Amino acid sequence: MKRSILLLILFNVLVVMGYAQQKQVSGQVTDKTSNEPLPGVSIVEKGTQNGTITDANGNYTITVEQGDSLVFTFVGMQRKVVPVGSANTVNVAMIEKVQELEQVVVTGYQTQKKADLTGAVSTVDEDVIEESTSGNPVKSLQGQVSGLFVETSGAPNADATIRIRGLSTLGNNDPLFIIDGMPTKSGMVQDLHPNEIKSIQVLKDAAASSIYGARASNGVVIIETKQADEGVKVQFNSSAAVQNYHTKLDVLNTQERGRALWRASINDGLDPNERPLYDYEWHTNDQGHAVLDEVKPVEWIDKEAGIRSANTNWYDEISRTGVITSNNLTVSSGGDRGGVLMSLSYYGNKGVVKENDFNRISGRLNSDYSFFDGRLKIGENLQISKSKETPMPSGLGGTPLWLGLIAQPILPVKTVDGDWAGPIGAGFSDRNNPVRLIEHNKWDKNHTVKTFGNLFAELEIVKNLNFKSTFGIDYTNYHNWDIQRTYQAGFLGRNINSLNKRQEHNLNWTWSNTLNYQYDFGKHSGNVLAGMEAIKNDFRYFSAYREEFAIEELEYFTMNAGTGLKNNTGSITGYQLLSYFGKVNYSYADKYYASATLRYDGSSRFGEKNKFGFFPAYSLGWRISNESFFEDNIDVISNLKLRFGWGQTGNQEIANDARFALYRPNYGEDSDEIMWEPGEGTAYDISGNDSGTLPSGFMATQTANPAIKWEATTETNIGADFGFFKDKLVGSFDYFMRETNDILIQPPFIAVQGEGGSQWVNGASVETSGFEVSLRHKNSLGDFTYDVAFNLGSFSDEITYLPESVVDAYPGNSEKTIIGHSMQSIFGYVADGIFQNEQQVQEHAEQPGKDVGRIRYKDLNDDGEITPLDQRYLGVEHPDFEYGLNTQLSYKNFSFSFFFQGVQGIEVYNDMKYRTDFVGQWTGANFGARTLDAWSPKNKDSNIPALSLSDKNNENRPSTYYVENGSYLKLRHFQIGYTLPDKMLERVGLSHLKVYLRGENVFMIKDTNGDDQFTAPDPENPDMAYPRPRKFILGLNLSL
Amino acid sequence: MKRFKILITILTLGTLMFACTEDFLEYKPKGTVSGDQLNTPERVDKMCIAAYSALGNDHWTVPYTSLWPYGSVRSDNSYKGGGGTADVPGFNKLEQFAFITTDMSDGDLLWHRLFIGVSRANKALKRLEELSEDEFAKKTTRMAEMRFLRGHFNFLLKINFKHIPYIHEDIPADSLKNISNRKYSSQELWDKIAADFEYAQNNLPADQEDVGRADKFKAKAYLAKTLLYQAYEQDKEYNVVNIDQQKLERVVSLVNDVIGSGKYDLFDDYAKNFLWQYENGPESVFAIQNSIDDGTESGRLDMGNGLNHNMASEYGCCWFHIPSQNLVNAYETSADGLPLFDTFNQSDMKDSAQFQDNTVDPRLDHTVGIPGHPFKYKPDFVYQTGWARTPNIYGYYSTMKEIQQPDCPCFKKVGPFYASSKNTIVIRYADVLLWKAEALIELGREDEALPIINRIRGRAQQSTGRLERSNGDPISNYSMQTYKPGENCTWTQDFARKALRWERRLEFAMEGWRFYDLVRWGIAAETINSYFEEEKTKREYLKEAHFTENRDEYLPIPQQQIDFSEGTYKQNPGW
Repeated sequence: MKRSILLLILFNVLVVMGYAQQKQVSGQVTDKTSNEPLPGVSIVEKGTQNGTITDANGNYTITVEQGDSLVFTFVGMQRKVVPVGSANTVNVAMIEKVQELEQVVVTGYQTQKKADLTGAVSTVDEDVIEESTSGNPVKSLQGQVSGLFVETSGAPNADATIRIRGLSTLGNNDPLFIIDGMPTKSGMVQDLHPNEIKSIQVLKDAAASSIYGARASNGVVIIETKQADEGVKVQFNSSAAVQNYHTKLDVLNTQERGRALWRASINDGLDPNERPLYDYEWHTNDQGHAVLDEVKPVEWIDKEAGIRSANTNWYDEISRTGVITSNNLTVSSGGDRGGVLMSLSYYGNKGVVKENDFNRISGRLNSDYSFFDGRLKIGENLQISKSKETPMPSGLGGTPLWLGLIAQPILPVKTVDGDWAGPIGAGFSDRNNPVRLIEHNKWDKNHTVKTFGNLFAELEIVKNLNFKSTFGIDYTNYHNWDIQRTYQAGFLGRNINSLNKRQEHNLNWTWSNTLNYQYDFGKHSGNVLAGMEAIKNDFRYFSAYREEFAIEELEYFTMNAGTGLKNNTGSITGYQLLSYFGKVNYSYADKYYASATLRYDGSSRFGEKNKFGFFPAYSLGWRISNESFFEDNIDVISNLKLRFGWGQTGNQEIANDARFALYRPNYGEDSDEIMWEPGEGTAYDISGNDSGTLPSGFMATQTANPAIKWEATTETNIGADFGFFKDKLVGSFDYFMRETNDILIQPPFIAVQGEGGSQWVNGASVETSGFEVSLRHKNSLGDFTYDVAFNLGSFSDEITYLPESVVDAYPGNSEKTIIGHSMQSIFGYVADGIFQNEQQVQEHAEQPGKDVGRIRYKDLNDDGEITPLDQRYLGVEHPDFEYGLNTQLSYKNFSFSFFFQGVQGIEVYNDMKYRTDFVGQWTGANFGARTLDAWSPKNKDSNIPALSLSDKNNENRPSTYYVENGSYLKLRHFQIGYTLPDKMLERVGLSHLKVYLRGENVFMIKDTNGDDQFTAPDPENPDMAYPRPRKFILGLNLSL
Repeated sequence: MKRFKILITILTLGTLMFACTEDFLEYKPKGTVSGDQLNTPERVDKMCIAAYSALGNDHWTVPYTSLWPYGSVRSDNSYKGGGGTADVPGFNKLEQFAFITTDMSDGDLLWHRLFIGVSRANKALKRLEELSEDEFAKKTTRMAEMRFLRGHFNFLLKINFKHIPYIHEDIPADSLKNISNRKYSSQELWDKIAADFEYAQNNLPADQEDVGRADKFKAKAYLAKTLLYQAYEQDKEYNVVNIDQQKLERVVSLVNDVIGSGKYDLFDDYAKNFLWQYENGPESVFAIQNSIDDGTESGRLDMGNGLNHNMASEYGCCWFHIPSQNLVNAYETSADGLPLFDTFNQSDMKDSAQFQDNTVDPRLDHTVGIPGHPFKYKPDFVYQTGWARTPNIYGYYSTMKEIQQPDCPCFKKVGPFYASSKNTIVIRYADVLLWKAEALIELGREDEALPIINRIRGRAQQSTGRLERSNGDPISNYSMQTYKPGENCTWTQDFARKALRWERRLEFAMEGWRFYDLVRWGIAAETINSYFEEEKTKREYLKEAHFTENRDEYLPIPQQQIDFSEGTYKQNPGW
């Protein structure tokens, strides 16, 4: 990017500058806090080597081109750029670089100094977010904040799931996001470009989050976007990455699959040559063991269809090297009376699965302007983004990633005539050729346009009393189309093409008004906040379907071109919230802190009797390190603060019409819906015409509950913040206990009730407790600086109460129930090794299907019979703790950082093992390479059961055989950067230029020993969802 | 003045802040109705349609009206089929019995779907009762229809679970779980079910405006069926201890009414029962009306059979419900055209030649897809070994009756599955006739049963018109005869009973009733276990299969439902 282009942009979008003219400028530089003049400040005409320094009184004089900017720098102060304009005098007040504890944190309708906080609040550094390539700021939070658990996938447009302090409810556990003051649960945050974010605060405990009342029980994440600073700034960030699929599952090739099937046939006492697709030469040796001499795959799978046998590696066929590009241009201009920031971003991600890609263009305009000497400020924050996705298809039998395992290697991608090959004849499962699936779905698109922003006015009524009114909207327009093409691939086919289009409109508006009073009477200081908020949501969608398009070209697939069946559907729903709230913060002499919050929330979702809920909280803090006895005596500890907080928050995540009794007509489900589950249609061909419009009735769908109310979470938090050695080592510790009652559930109901017995009730209770630690050490030794941050979070949950009727909806049996266990418990049999000989088989309890080489299940209750009662809780699918270690080193202009993240103590139910370890669970599929190492009389040490063509021992039952240790430690990223020296930059008119090389998901440690070793490639992804690819990135950050 | 301005400002802002009232929180659901809005004659009539449509929501995950996993796979007639034993594993458990558990979801699903049917009928009944005849002239007719439907769903519940809670329209929702499945004895439950059909036959017109609606003779037929099942009295362990002669008399007289109505007849060709072109024909007494091109995306099809098409490229999925070798062998006939009651299974008919060298009952090629034989009456559409999906496990055959010709306009692909708008027949006239024959034999009037059985055999014998190869040759070597006492048999009660049971097996093979017949006759354990003994030598996967007598005659009451009832329900014996 050449400087001239950037300047051109500057010209076009921002300021019109005067013609270049020499002029003299003078002024004084002062310290903004003390108002003292600053001597020795370096002043440089931007983009030149023309410069000077201030004298002993802070005065300077310089001759510059009219219209240029001056750059002021001084040790310990923030760098400042000021446009000269036509002024002859430019006085500048410089601001000290903020110390950790002086950092200002947004805590909900107000800001506080970090030092004054009494709740559990974490902040995230902006550079952590900025340089991630995920395109989704939420993903980059993984491992960065203690107590924040993030689950993501590597898909180009995958949403990340966030859990703050784990799970607190059986329903929706998503936190509430506040973006520039606007609450949202819509996922808007995933569309923010990382470069647009100024700060992220996580309100973890109830004392901090209860100001958000009925929606805060899962925690609150507050995000502020960047605003214009003083002066003119142009920033350009760009990166490009390559990514590849490095965690492919090890599956069998054609020969190996033949061998596995041969072994299974021999084990079952069957003639292997009776099997389709393979011929074998084999003999029985002296010891009576069968020995395989040669595997001969058939030459033709189907000669008529032209399908010649092959040796296809389907994972290779469906994947590619992906490319990610990310660009962001931010231009801002600010002055005393306000400023404007504009930002334009592009993010493009071509995924590692062929044709799967996602791109997004977003624009942001944040501006504010002050009137009446700054007493009135009006402004707006606005983001518009447009994204387009070619989703990964999911067709017959699953996604291409799943089919990569299922599809047999003997099947070629294409027939000899170049048509799609597919399963045909005996020996195949009814699953798609994944390459065809990809190719035929590449026209499918999802388009999303999001508008998110607000207008605000802030008025200083009298000194220290401010009124702020904000009106915001959050609007998502989603539009997709799904084209189904005709095809024939083996016996699978489709003879009618179709188009389905769907449009969704989701509009939220929020209006909030707050009054904020700051007080400072000697040692007493703090603030008082009062406010109200109204929120309205409106969601509507419709979709249209058409069949039979004469020409199969993308451009032809418009609704009016179809000539066949038409179909459509749609619905409307919404909710309203109305809230009043207040908060008082008080501090005495910077030693004692107290804070109290009240929120009164009403929701249209709740019953007449319980429309409104009341959410109180309080917290206390004691900064011991400011006590004189402490200050005078202890040197090592520079900061120590104890915190205690208690509060109640709510959760209202239920259907909008949850409180009503409902009947509805159901003319008939769409194909997708009745494909896998029974329909509930109310139409019937009563007159036996076989076609035409049918009469239709009504079905009951829900029972009313006028008393329904929000879930209530009560949380107690005890924490400490500390700093050692002049805050070179800082950290915090928090312990929390949380109890959620009246959890909103929809219990299953007794079958004799038929339909409509479904009812939302306040039922279950859950207790969660845990702790978080974070430590950070920053120091510099000459030119070498380092910054090491470590965090660790742990939680455990326990269901303490469930209504009788709900217990069965969770894993358990008639003797053992989920009560007292985590809601993420695994339940099943205990696999007790493999029967080695006939004697062991005889001695074991009665177990249908037991045999040599098969899994022995433990007779837990010793009744001599393996029954459902021989099951127990086998583990919990969340980690004992999650941790992150982030290290940043810099030497002169070089920087190096690396980030490790891991989880420990997690049991994972590895479903994949059904497919990787067994032949008989699904003989028409391909299997994992592990089958080659299965138990046999000659391989008795194996812990993989003997191969068999059927599952007589019912080994797909849930058991410890599938429970594996999911602990891992990953090097999430490393990065080497080089910042060009200022002098060199100033010569070319730049103020900052950094280039970097980054690697992500480069290295992993997992459990590879013992019976519970993790046998699939990635413990973070046991069910073969979208892989987290390995990425290498080259990037640059540039400022003008 | 300044203070005044500040005060005004604060007041204005304060008003703004609290201007919203609770009205703001009002919300009305969209696109739904409340219960009260339904109480008009037109809408109540629609509630009746909703009850009928519960018949049409059959699905392959729980084929509660086509019944193949429960009535056919559980018998000696068929295997589960599919991609392996783990493909729809619940049906594998049903097939092998040994792995059935009280909490298996398949039992619970079946129970659930059937009670949805009962409940839809009850919901309509309740609203019908609240209308007067003046408001709704069809009130009594519709009530009789709803009781017919309730009888149907309860009948299916009864034959699968034996002890069920009897739910009627006047039980309030909150006391449903207090209704025990042992409130009534087994026989009293049958009385309850019979009472619904009794009410229906008394209050329904002989003919209805819509062919899909219950009418007087459908009700009589279903009542006959109910009484026939009830006649075989079981003790607590499901042993048949008595056959109620009065009930059998009633069966005969009801069937005579149905015959006397003149509404029904046997098709000339057995094939027509299994072809869409002839649906709602004279042999269809009560059928579930499926439809296509009806404004729904795929049609209200017979999704219950969605898995059962073979792997020919014209079909493609998923080859479930596979005829057993035992069943195929049962079609072999003796030199004089009669069944080989005792020797049929001594050797297998497998290779093409064996169907020429031996003689067979023509119904074989209406029922079973066999390699080398034309499929579904299309001479050029010859069944290939490749149409079998997992021959090493389940052999090479496939089911045919519920499958339509691939070029049938009734036929639709739904994702990987196929389904058709062919009606699912619940009662066909041949069945009605054989109930009478069965009752007569058990009444000791076997001579009167002979012409009935011979009528069924005679029709089968004639049904070879569609069983031709493209060169005009018959597909197999057909030879069958009617029973001619003194000539080819001795017609005693025992022989007649054997003949009837054999006839029912072949006539209704793969139609879903075999298992229930065996339980009714009290011979399920001996029949199925001796079948397993022989079949497991041919089908390795059946090695662990075993029918536990006095337990497996019925499915366990789903543990989930016992839990919901908080112990009001009692588990069936043996579990």
